[in-house]
Amino acid sequence: MTDHDDIITSVRSGILPAHIYNDADLFAAERESVFAKNWLFLAHESEVPDRGDYVVRQQLGDSFIVSRDESGEIRVMFNMCLHRGMQVCRAEIGNTSHFRCPYHGWTYKNDGALVGVPFFKEAYGGEDELRRSDHSLLPAPAMEIVNGLVFVCLDPDAPPFSSRLGEFRDYLDFYTRPGPDGVEVRGPQRWRLPANWKIGAENFAGDTYHTPHTHLSVSEIGLMSDAKGGKRKGGTMYFAGGGGGATFPLAPGDLPSRLGVIGYTDEMIKRRAETWPVTISALIGKDGQIPSAATIFPNLSFLHLWARVSESQIVPFTTMRLWQPVSEQETEVVSWFVVDKAADEEFKRASYKAYQMCFGPSGMFEQDDMENWSSITRVAGGTMARRLQLNNRMGLRTDDSTIAEPLTNFSGPGAAYGGFGEFNQRRWFDLWCRDLESGPIDTKKTTSYPTSEGDDREHER
Amino acid sequence: MSTSADAGVQYDVGAALSSGDPAHHAAYDFLMAEAQVLDDHDLEQWLDLLCEDVTYRVPVRVTTARGSACDVLGDASHLDEDRYSLGKRIERLRTEHAWAEDPPSRTRHFVTNVRCFATDSPDLLAVTSYLLLFRSRGDARPPDLISGVRSDVLRAQPAGGYRLLRRVVIMDESVLRSQNLAVFL
Ligand code: FES
Ligand SMILES: [Fe+2]
Repeated sequence: MTDHDDIITSVRSGILPAHIYNDADLFAAERESVFAKNWLFLAHESEVPDRGDYVVRQQLGDSFIVSRDESGEIRVMFNMCLHRGMQVCRAEIGNTSHFRCPYHGWTYKNDGALVGVPFFKEAYGGEDELRRSDHSLLPAPAMEIVNGLVFVCLDPDAPPFSSRLGEFRDYLDFYTRPGPDGVEVRGPQRWRLPANWKIGAENFAGDTYHTPHTHLSVSEIGLMSDAKGGKRKGGTMYFAGGGGGATFPLAPGDLPSRLGVIGYTDEMIKRRAETWPVTISALIGKDGQIPSAATIFPNLSFLHLWARVSESQIVPFTTMRLWQPVSEQETEVVSWFVVDKAADEEFKRASYKAYQMCFGPSGMFEQDDMENWSSITRVAGGTMARRLQLNNRMGLRTDDSTIAEPLTNFSGPGAAYGGFGEFNQRRWFDLWCRDLESGPIDTKKTTSYPTSEGDDREHER
Repeated sequence: MSTSADAGVQYDVGAALSSGDPAHHAAYDFLMAEAQVLDDHDLEQWLDLLCEDVTYRVPVRVTTARGSACDVLGDASHLDEDRYSLGKRIERLRTEHAWAEDPPSRTRHFVTNVRCFATDSPDLLAVTSYLLLFRSRGDARPPDLISGVRSDVLRAQPAGGYRLLRRVVIMDESVLRSQNLAVFL
């Protein structure tokens, strides 16, 4: 039982109470029940290529240092000093062997181990009385790295990321495993959007309905050169395990020709064909569908598209972004450019340009999305929004049967539909309801750092 | 870690020109006229102020420890434009479906602290200026404020006057407090 049973019941029936996009109580519940229990993305390994490299990332109120320690291991540590709680690292990117707390000077190695305590003997009685090994920076309760993507979970008892991700893994490989060397990322760009975090997450999960309208200007100026890409109407929506997305229809051909038309070189195509799961190769090569936007629940989205970066050149690009909640009405968007690590510099440069023309705060697609989403959030905070029920039932009849049958000839994992429908948004909200309903985790279990068997030491003599 | 200095156009900058120098006056007039063109949303006229081979870059600013080599990302930017992509952006804003700027923002480009430098090329003038951009949308939402420094290179035109050859804007915030960057800096 939760305080939000009415909302959950309504959302499950395909009706969204409008205030869920700007509701402080609900946001507090999301923090405890959604964000504290799910796997959250922090950084990509390529952002910390060398020993000592680090980046600092937030998820809700928590700040984490992602570092590569002196042995080359990736570490994720809670950025809070064990003495009085100061953030030990206040830069967002850099290289260091140690983090020295500015408050009283405790010093930690870049793997989190406490190595220096000022006046250790006089103040604490030395190692006999205060074991430094008991005072390492708190590691993330759980961490997993997939295709170089570093995920953490604040619930140490959560199911492993791979089981949460399930069949979406193949699509993740489409975006982030174009060859044996994987990808590298650039950025991120960060900007504050006065919008609720859910809107971006569910939009990327499969709102193909908005594309022809919101992004009409982009096709009017021929940015994607639609003639080659076909009509959005012929695309699909799929949901597989912990995520879902949409695919874009391609002109007739096979895997090499279809990837060639959107700007991949022969060598890049060959590498993909040898590396991607067969489901992905068949989805593109046989079905003529290429993944476009997608979201892994709760707040990590991906996008692959192509753009004309000059009169004569079409280039594909991939981006990945976090819809990182700040409050019920503000989201920090963190957007990375993602590129095949083995690609040549010229491709990477052109692909970045294509990304930037389309996505990020200045992107010609994304600019218009942001305008819409902030507008929804603003009006969702009022009294009238408490009375308004939004329709999330596209593709369903009144008896809950689907207007169109699921596709039977879809080569990718998961259940897929053609045409238009809010299938994916409903699945995304099912996961959201699941977490709200099961309630918060017991954080007591997870806040203590490991203590040794020395607890029976005399405290005072 | 991949921060590095911005490469940009290669030229050697000489000493600062006095504010009484005719070249300084010319650069100042250029920037004032440009600000008005931008705030009037006269974007076609703005394009006419740019060289055909213009580059226009707004790199991503990051927070780094004192003593770090750099605090902009060398390989990531909010804008990294040439004449083609700037033209496409303006062409899009001129369609009837560019929601980001419909209704249009009310903007004010405050351009101050102009300094002008001779270069080793007789037709190139290096100009730095501070920018404070005020942007208001809708009725009562908090306005966007973007503060930064521009490093421009102006090229003298055979027919007289200057055009913008290069602009790099270093913003003072690492997190953009603006829903999008649908306006030019
Ligand atoms: S808070 Fe870090 S040393 Fe005291
Ligand atoms: Fe969109």
